[in-house]
This record gives sequence, C-alpha cells and structure tokens, in this order.
Amino acid sequence: MAKGGISAGLGVNESAKAPKNRINKKVLKNQKTLVLMSVPFAIYAIIFSYVPLFGWIMAFQNYKPKDGLLHSKFVGLQKFERLFGDDIFLKVIRNTFCMGAMNLIFGTVCAILFAILLNEFWSVKGKKAVQTISYLPHFLSWIIVTGICFDVLAMENGVLNDVLVGLHIIDAPINWLAYPKYFWWIVTFSNLWKETGWNSIIYLAAITSINPDLYEAASIDGAGRLSKIWHITLPGLKPTIMILLIMNIGNVLNAGFEVQYLLGNGLVQSVAQTIDIYVLKFGISNGDYSIGTAAGIFKSVVSIALIAIANRASKLMGEESLF
Amino acid sequence: MSSRKSLVALTTALCMLASMTACGGGNTGSSGSTEATTAAGGGEAAATTAADGGEAAPADGGDTASSGEVKEFTAFFAVPGNETDAGNDVQEVIASKIGAKCKMTWLTGQTADEAVGVMIAGGEYPDFIDASTGSQQLIDAGGCIPIDEYWDGYDNLKNFWTEEQWNSVRAEDGHIYIIPQFGNRWMYDTETVHNDEAFWIQVRVLEWAGYPKIETLDEYFDVIERYLEANPTMEDGTPNIGYEILSDDWRYFCLENAPFFLDGYPNDGCVIVDRDTHQAIDYNTTPTAKRYFQKLNEEYQKGVVDPETFTMKYDQYISKLSTGRVCGMVDQHWDFNDAEVSIKNQGLDECTYVPVGVVIDKGIEEHYHSSPALDVSNGISITTSCKDIPGALKFIDDLLSPEILTLRNWGIEGEDYLVGEDGLFYRTDDMRSKANDQAYINSHLCSYSYFPNYGGMDHDGINAASAQYQPKEFYDSLSEPVKKCFDAYGVETYVQLLNKSGENEPWYPMWSYSNNLTTDTEEGYVWATMADVKHEYLPKVVMAPDFEAAWTEYMDQYTSRCDIDVFLNAINTEIQRRIDVANGN
Amino acid sequence: MANSVGSGEAVRSLNSPKSNKNTESKSSVFSRRTTGDIIFDVINTIVLLLFTVIMLYPLINTVAMSFNDGIDALRGGITFFPRVFTMKNYQTVVAKQGMIDGAKISVLRTVIGTLTSTLCTALLAYVLSRKNFVFKKPLSMLYVVTMYVNGGLIPVFLVYKSLGLTNSFWVYIIPGMVSAWNMLVLRTYMNGIPESLSESAELDGAGHFTIFFSIIFPLSMPVIACVSLFTAVGQWNSWFDAMLYNRMSDNLTTLQYELMKLLSSVTNNNANVETMKNANNMVTPRTMRAAATVVTALPIVCLYPFLQRYFVAGMTIGGVKE
Repeated sequence: MAKGGISAGLGVNESAKAPKNRINKKVLKNQKTLVLMSVPFAIYAIIFSYVPLFGWIMAFQNYKPKDGLLHSKFVGLQKFERLFGDDIFLKVIRNTFCMGAMNLIFGTVCAILFAILLNEFWSVKGKKAVQTISYLPHFLSWIIVTGICFDVLAMENGVLNDVLVGLHIIDAPINWLAYPKYFWWIVTFSNLWKETGWNSIIYLAAITSINPDLYEAASIDGAGRLSKIWHITLPGLKPTIMILLIMNIGNVLNAGFEVQYLLGNGLVQSVAQTIDIYVLKFGISNGDYSIGTAAGIFKSVVSIALIAIANRASKLMGEESLF
Repeated sequence: MSSRKSLVALTTALCMLASMTACGGGNTGSSGSTEATTAAGGGEAAATTAADGGEAAPADGGDTASSGEVKEFTAFFAVPGNETDAGNDVQEVIASKIGAKCKMTWLTGQTADEAVGVMIAGGEYPDFIDASTGSQQLIDAGGCIPIDEYWDGYDNLKNFWTEEQWNSVRAEDGHIYIIPQFGNRWMYDTETVHNDEAFWIQVRVLEWAGYPKIETLDEYFDVIERYLEANPTMEDGTPNIGYEILSDDWRYFCLENAPFFLDGYPNDGCVIVDRDTHQAIDYNTTPTAKRYFQKLNEEYQKGVVDPETFTMKYDQYISKLSTGRVCGMVDQHWDFNDAEVSIKNQGLDECTYVPVGVVIDKGIEEHYHSSPALDVSNGISITTSCKDIPGALKFIDDLLSPEILTLRNWGIEGEDYLVGEDGLFYRTDDMRSKANDQAYINSHLCSYSYFPNYGGMDHDGINAASAQYQPKEFYDSLSEPVKKCFDAYGVETYVQLLNKSGENEPWYPMWSYSNNLTTDTEEGYVWATMADVKHEYLPKVVMAPDFEAAWTEYMDQYTSRCDIDVFLNAINTEIQRRIDVANGN
Repeated sequence: MANSVGSGEAVRSLNSPKSNKNTESKSSVFSRRTTGDIIFDVINTIVLLLFTVIMLYPLINTVAMSFNDGIDALRGGITFFPRVFTMKNYQTVVAKQGMIDGAKISVLRTVIGTLTSTLCTALLAYVLSRKNFVFKKPLSMLYVVTMYVNGGLIPVFLVYKSLGLTNSFWVYIIPGMVSAWNMLVLRTYMNGIPESLSESAELDGAGHFTIFFSIIFPLSMPVIACVSLFTAVGQWNSWFDAMLYNRMSDNLTTLQYELMKLLSSVTNNNANVETMKNANNMVTPRTMRAAATVVTALPIVCLYPFLQRYFVAGMTIGGVKE
C-alpha cells in the first residue's frame, strides 16, 4: 500500500494518465463482463429517456391531442419564431439565467461552507443536531417557505423591516417585494434557506473520504485550522465540487417555477418571469403543447452546451469530468 | 471461472431488461444478494395482485358483497374538488334507490388541459368526464359520445334544458356532447347572496355614515375616506385599511375588470358587448377605464389603498380581510368567502361586507347581478370508454328525479334536516355546523356536485333547492349588524341591494368563450398578451406619482404588444354565432 | 476466492490496518489547541448557532401552525406557538380515507425503490469508474444527457403505457431505477478509492461482481447512504406518478397523493374563475398543509439518524485509506 499522500483522497484524474483504449476484439474480450453489464444500462437509458424524445416533434407541429403526434399539422419553426420573436421571452431567458446562476454560485458556496464549518464543529452531538435541523427545511413545500418569507418581509410587523428601522438603517418600512432590484436576492436567499442544509449532505459525505492521517500530519507540522481546511479539506472535496458544479451548470435554465411564481407579482414581473412561468402562461395552460415543447428543447440544447463547455474546461484544468 | 462470471453478467442484463419491459422480475439478480431478490420478488407478487384489482376498477365491476347489483361508474372532473369517501352514507342511500353510484376523482396538481391532454393521448377515459377548459379538446378528439343520439326515454335529462338551450350547446356537427350542469333553476331564482363581483363595503362603514345611498365611484371612495379619517384604527388599535386590490395571478380581475361594471354592463368577462350594435368594445381603453384607474391612483396617493396591496398573494389578502380591518374592495363574493367566515368566527360581524352597485356617473343603470347563466362551454360528458351508455344516461336521469335531488342537496331527513309541520325543511344548529365540517361532508353527504343539478326551488315547490337558499335558514344566519343594515336599506337579502337581474342576453356570458381560448390561435395569443401587459402595468399606473405619464406608457405598451382588433374580431364572430344559435339558425 | 473477501470488514483489515483510529486522530486535534483554534471555534459556534436559529424558525412555525385552528390562522400572525390550539388538522389528515392504504404503498415503494435504485445506480457507477473501460465515455455521455432532456408529459405517458407500466406498482420503481445524478456522485467517490485495492483483488482472481460487492460498495458507504437518502426522500415525497399513471387504481395510491388531493381540494392556483365559483369553498388549508408537512417529514426524521452516522464525519468508522 503505497502512501498516496493527498492524492489518495482526491481521485486522481484518470483520463489524463490512462492510455487511450482502442476498441478491438482483444479489449472487448478482456472487458467482456463490463461490456455485458453496460448493455442493459444502455438499453434502459434509451427506453426511458431517449424514446420519449419523439415527443419533440410537437415543437414543429401545431399539436392537437385529437390528431396525436402522427397527424398534427407541421408548422416548421413557427413555434420557435413565436418564442424568440417576443421581446418578453428574451427578458425571460435573462431572468432565468441570472437567478439560476445566482442560485448556483451562492448555493454551492454556502453548502460547502456549511459542510466544512459543521465538520469542524467541536461537539459531535452538536454536529448531529445542527445537521439534522439544517436539512429539515428541505421538506417544507415552497408554499410554506414563501408564506414565511412574506411574514418576514411584511411592511407591518415584518422582522426584517422592524430590525432595519430599529437600527435606523432605513427610515420607513420598505415593501421589499415591490421592487425589481431586490427580487433576485429574495429568491436566492429563499433557496439558500431551504436547501443549504440538504445540499451540504453530499459534501459531508465526501469529507469522510479524506484520509484522517493527513490532518494529523498537518497538525504535527503546526498547521492551523484554516490552513488545514484550505490545504486538506477543500482539495479533498474538489472532485465532488467539480462534478456537482458541472452538473448544476446544466441546470441554470431550470431556475424554477414555484418560488418565482409564489413570490412574484405584477410589479416585479419583468424580472420574476422564468421560462417555465412563461411557458405556463403562453403555452401549456392555454392548451398549446407545442410552444412548451419548443421552450423545453431550447432549454435542453442550452443545458447540454453549457455542460459540454464546463466539462471541457474542467478537463483542461486537469479536474474531474463527467465524460 | 470467467465464463461463469459472464453468465452472471448476462443474467443480470436479462433480468434488467425483463424488469424494464415490466414483466416484473427482480432487477438485482447479482451474486450474493438473495435477500434483495426475495424482497423484489415479494413486491412483485403484491404489485401483481394490486394491478389486477386496478384493472377491474374502471369497469363497472360492482363494489363488494352486499351491493352486488349496484353499478359503479367512474368520473373525472378537471377541477379541484373534495373526494367523497367510499361508503359515503348518502351515496349508499342513493345507490340503493337507483342501483348505481359513481366514484369521482378531481384535478390534482395539474391544469385541466394537461390532465385531459394526457387522457386523450392515452385514449382511456372514465365513464363520465367534465374536462373543464379541456372540453373542446376532448370533443375534437372524439372522446365523448353524442348524447342526443341515446337520450330518448331519459326525460329528466332531456328536459333539463329547453330546446333552445340545448341548441346552444350543440357542437358544429349538430350533436350534443356535453351537459352543462350549472345555472339551472327549478321554478324561480332563490338566490339570497350575491355570489359574484361587486364593490363591497363593510357594514360598520355604512352604519357610521348613516346608511347613505352610494351610487358612484366617487361617492364610494368618499365614504371610505371619511370613515378612515374618523376611525384610523379598530377598537383593539389595529390600523384600518381603506381599500385592497387583489392582483394575484388570475385573480387580478379585482383590479382590471371593474370598468365594464362602472359603465353599466354585466360581467361578460373579456369585453363590453354593445346592446344595440352587438359589437364588442375593449373596456381597457375606454374613458371610464382611465377615470377608474386615475381614481385608484388618487386614493393610493392619499394612503387609502394599502401600500402593500400589489405584492400580496391570495393568502395575504385573505389574512388582511380576515382581521376585519379592510373597509372595501372589488371582488367576487366566493373569492373572499373564507375571510368572511373568519370574521364572523371572531364575532366581528360589523366588519362583514355588503355589495354596492357602483357606476362611474349617476344615471347609468348597474348590472352587477346576473341571472344564473348557462355556460355552454363546460359540462359533463359520457366518454367513449363507457361500456354501459344506457346505464350512464339512466344514472344522470335518476339523479335528476325529485327524491334524489332532495337527497343530493339537503341530505337525509332526520339526520341533515328536519321537516316542520308546514312542510318546510329546517336545520338545528348542530346540523348546520356538521354541514360545514369537511370530514363529515366527505363521509356523509354526497351532492354529486358536478352532475346536473337544479338551483331555485326544490321539486316539492315549498322549499328552496338547498339549505343556503332557504329564506328562513338564510335569515337565521344573519347577524345583527347586517340585519340592521338591511332594514335601513329596506331589503331582505344581499341580492336585493343590487339591481334586479333581467333575462340574460343571448351572447352572455362571453367569458365562456375567452376562458377557452388557446395560444395557438392569433386571438388566443393576443388575449394572453393582454393579460401579461395589464398584470405588469396596471399596478404601476395605480402607484405612479405621475398618473398621466404612467397611463401613456401603459397605453403604448398595450397598443404595441396587443393586436386588439384580432381579438375583437374573433369575439364579434362568436357573438354573432351565439345570436344566430339563439334565433334557431 | 470470492468468499475470502466477502465482507467489508475483511477489506479493511486487509488493506488499512490503521483505519479504526480515525476517531481518535480527529479528537487528538483538540488536545493541541492554539489561540487561533479557540477563536475559530468561537466564531464557528456563533455562525452555526445563528444558522440553526434561522433554520429552526420555519420548522417551529410549521409545527405551531399545524396545531392551530384553521379559521383563526387566516388572520395570520402565528409565530412560535399556536394561538387557538386544536388537533383537528391532524385528525382530518389522518382520518382521510385511503391514507392508510396510501401509507402502505408509500413504504413499499420507498423500500423497494431505494434498494433497487441504489444498487443499480451503484453498479452503473462502478462500471463507469473502471479505468480503461472502452465504452466509458459514450455510456457516461448517454446518461449525462438524460439529465437535461425530457420528452414531455404526453410522450413519456405513452411510452409507459406501451410498456404496461400504467395502473401498475412498477411505475414507481422501474423508471427511477437508475439516476444519472446519483450515478455521477457515486462514480466520483469511487474514482477516489485507490485503484490498488481492486487491482490486488483482481490479481487474486476476483471478478467484477466480487470487487463491487465486497470492496467498492462497502467502501462507498458514506455516499451510498447519501444517495439512498436522496432516493428514499424522492420516493416518499413523490405523488405525481401516482396521480398520472395510477389515477384509477385506488389500491396503488400513495400517501403523498392522498395528501395532495386533500390539500388541492380546497385551493388550486391554476383554477379558473368559473371553477372556483362552483367548487364549495371551505376554509383555507394553510394549517392543514402544515399538518400534512409534519406527517410527511416525520418518517424521514426518524429514519435519518440511521443514515446520518455514515456521512457525518467523526461518526464514521473510517475514511478510505491506502
């Protein structure tokens, strides 16, 4: 057992080191078991994720349930033109992207930070207690969480306004939800509130893979706590962070529906409307399946492009990659 | 050794494939995990039994032992609703009398269009369906049977609507696919509560002002302003709020549609229809609309309108109303009914609301209250999946027989109501409170609410169709402050506070058309865009320090984004169609 | 051969003789506390305390709400304690017909679903974590893409229907058997497990299944626990599939679907005007929703400590070492 040093806990980037394998008879024979194991998985993915994609034809049709996919009228790119021809939709993309990005950045940072702080906490019992409490908000539905947000942000008896007025930071209560400039922050914060504890679970699990000897060795070298976090914990978490980051970058356009829908109102509509809300307004709820599908295709294409780029970048930096 | 391993791998592969094609089978199948395999196997057995039962359910395979001969139908209503418990008392009584019952499921977490779209794609329906906004889709897809081809001999059903009314329900091919179930009256209208839209004002405000006659928008706000000045807080010190405007999602009608009422037109929902020319007029751009929003703007600047009003969700709105602090608002009564229940529960009866028929200028006749309307776009259908069409028709027909109607609407005699010597039904307090308890309703009462039903009078001609319409029942439920208010205005019901409703125009209500517009048509797209623009700009207009500038900006947006003529043309065509149908063409 | 490395215990004793010292080595850090450490601990404690308070509030509020009278709660202003105490919300939730049957199916689907999904996903992760595997890249890609594409409600429904998954218990299990997201998380962790472990086993003649079940799987326990938790919660909370595919099969209803029906019977945000007009409007379900939330979360809260020990560091038996 060679002492792997730090890299033991890291998962060395294998693709850089591994010699490229050509597919030939010999290799296939050697890897027969692996290949056979892959087959059902490949078929499974095709049946459950790719076969339903035939539904994408809808985006190029004027889909009517009565005609079904086979007999609905083809309209070419008309649905896409309608989407992108609407100035509002461009704004909607911007909103979705920005809220998604803020959510991604702050969500990741906070979850990591929380996992590390928790890991460093001195009492095991306290650690467990805090962790248990922190993941529970995940179980509250958005309608409950936003209900509490309204209480906190209210002009009368709202905690936030009371505190800020009490500290003389503002003169009069502010109607936070009426101003577009605050909206994205409110959404981001609500997300953090609900999901930080839950998202940190995965980082906590990853921390357990770090070789404890490393900490001991560092202590002997006289490293402080912050230095150990910086030089051992964070590098140990890096593969997990990278993978989650790449995957979540693909999700920025899925910035959500419920929060924005439940917190939004006419006054902040220009910043609150996300793709999903727009689609519901102009598509599905109005019986136009095609426009919803068109928006879905758009999201998929953007997502895949984003993760491809992120994956490439990560590979170039010599980090973990998705494929 | 290696061949054995590949055999294992192959087995795994096959197992996975097998489970994918839903033949069941453990998907683990790998070495040394017998435990998991057994678990999966056990699950399979359980699930197979379950699935078998499931397949039996949609067909009319009777329930169980005791009610062997009772037919059981299934129904799906694409609206939210309360599920009736299996074994519900009234349902069982009805079943024993007519030999059939129906299991009803409701919309959950989806839009009606979505739910119906999936059903159409799958081609499987329950026996009965009310597809709500998806009705047209369903008829187009051939999911409903033409009822008029089968209905001979089912007279209760056939006579439910008049010949002309049925004509207006006919689809383009001349057949009747849906049975509109609401808006029908037996004998005459017995409505006591104005359940629809109006300007509402608290009883305490009217009392303080000496029960004035309020006719115009200006007078309405004048009373509220003066009250607010004299009474800045409630007795417990909570500040009073002059006026709330709900603008949450589709409920923003509280903000946007008052202009047509102010001009004296009924609730067509999407347009004003000129009574002489039968042409549609866009109420959003009329001078009245501008004056109305200017008034709201003034009141907002004065602080009469709640500054938080445009960021409120429905929940917050109901909360504010429930405290009893809000003097007035525009709303549909059913929309804030919950809040009124809460106000009454707290004993703040003087804070409940009465409707006022406000218009923009004196001399305009208001039309807030309309007779129940036949909504031709919605109704219950029998689907092509129904295996017993005569049975299904008989079921609907039986549900319309006098005895069953009383059971549906009043419940069981002796349990849910008592009969006085004069034949009048009445309820004890205990019965009244039970009738409002959801758990009791689910287990005991069964109104088959989305099957055809009558309002107005019971078939006995003595009682109202249901308890909430029974005059004595109604009067007993009124609180002292409301009775005093009614006395001052010389009325006995909420409805009488407004003008008496006349006969509806043949095209009324146009909302039954606009609600079913879809965005794949030009007019539907314009309609959705109009809502989008108004949602964003109307609150801004009301809040703007400079009203004129904000109004101009709004109008610019409105006219540039919405091709209103496309919309009005479509509406005009529909108006004409409805007039033609009513004339028998 | 396969038998001799049959358990994780054996692997550990074989490969990492020091692993059991993990806990002590962690605590030994505290024996040499510097001023910096103390400052760190103080700040850390304050931050976590603050965090906990912020997190705790919504929970307390929800519990308080769940015990409050529904009509009274309409007025708002309930914070830490119920104002008008009642058990009625819970009674309504529990008394709802179908709740017990739903709970049974929910438990069944959660157990079976979590077992199968975790196992299949881990197996795929194992396959894709083998260096040099020829189809590693295409298969990974195949799965990565599934996270971002979606055929839409109707096509998916048609596929499930043609597979005979509608009106069937298996619709809860089979479509979720492999999760790309979980697979990638697991694979990342497995990539971090020293190659030498499986290599030496391979030299001893162990096949892939042996290596997977006796080495990789046990060593990945922290992330396995994590992924199982995610899957279990997902299974437990899901109701849409029950509604969509098993609407007509009462015996396949789930607890969450029953709760959803209960809650959405009273309000529905997407309802249109004439709908609301005709629906009999009962008291708002805010308090009932709170009660339903508590009922839902409770089993997971009870289950949690059993899984938590795997991924809260300091509680684990040992890290992966060489």
